[in-house]
Amino acid sequence: MLVLRRRVGEAILLGPDIEIEVVEISRTRVKLGVRAPRTVCVTRREAAAVASENREAAALATSGGGIENIVRLLRNIPCPP
Amino acid sequence: MTATKPEHEIVISQFLGEIVREPGNELSLPGGLPGFEHIQTLLPVEIPVHRPLVFLQSTSCPDVCFVCLPVSSIVSNYQIRISEDDRAVLDLDPDRELVMGEDILCLALLAPLPGSVRTNLDAPIIINLRNYRCAQVLLAVTNGTRRLTDDGSWDLIC
Repeated sequence: MLVLRRRVGEAILLGPDIEIEVVEISRTRVKLGVRAPRTVCVTRREAAAVASENREAAALATSGGGIENIVRLLRNIPCPP
Repeated sequence: MTATKPEHEIVISQFLGEIVREPGNELSLPGGLPGFEHIQTLLPVEIPVHRPLVFLQSTSCPDVCFVCLPVSSIVSNYQIRISEDDRAVLDLDPDRELVMGEDILCLALLAPLPGSVRTNLDAPIIINLRNYRCAQVLLAVTNGTRRLTDDGSWDLIC
């Protein structure tokens, strides 16, 4: 992994089209600004894992055998007060 | 003069059929959802006989419908701490201690497993009940991913 030190206002380039700038630094976090073409997806790493889960979740309705089948799977869930 | 009923817009769902889109009932998602960044509006649908299930139907994509449960029907002691950034996205008061059911609604997305379903309780859908802004937040508190068992309980799987 390439490790670089940057101060606030300084940036790094990923290829010719992507720039990541340090916007703010606090005690526990750094705020980054990203300039990239719209075709480049910029996301937090943990959000990428959730994106994969969400695509699977969207498949429940369409591949789950219809609403009745899903309801049958969930038949033992109590209704909260 | 005869009064005419305003025509309600109809949203087509591949899963739920035709849904009447009533003004003020939609959820707005300023940043979409991870993996579905293009989805800016969801229509929440509850079918009384199928409660507590909540269906979130995309108004722009008929084939995108999420099946959800209120987190309270999965774990009774659900812990949530929403970050400053997520509160800003949801337009929530930054200092207020949030009350589920009054300020916010937390829904867990269900995903398929062979013969069952699972859900990641650390990535709930949060709805601001005052303005219907909605976002999926990634929690630092670990509630875990759970699988529905045959007896209706939810086992922690990771």
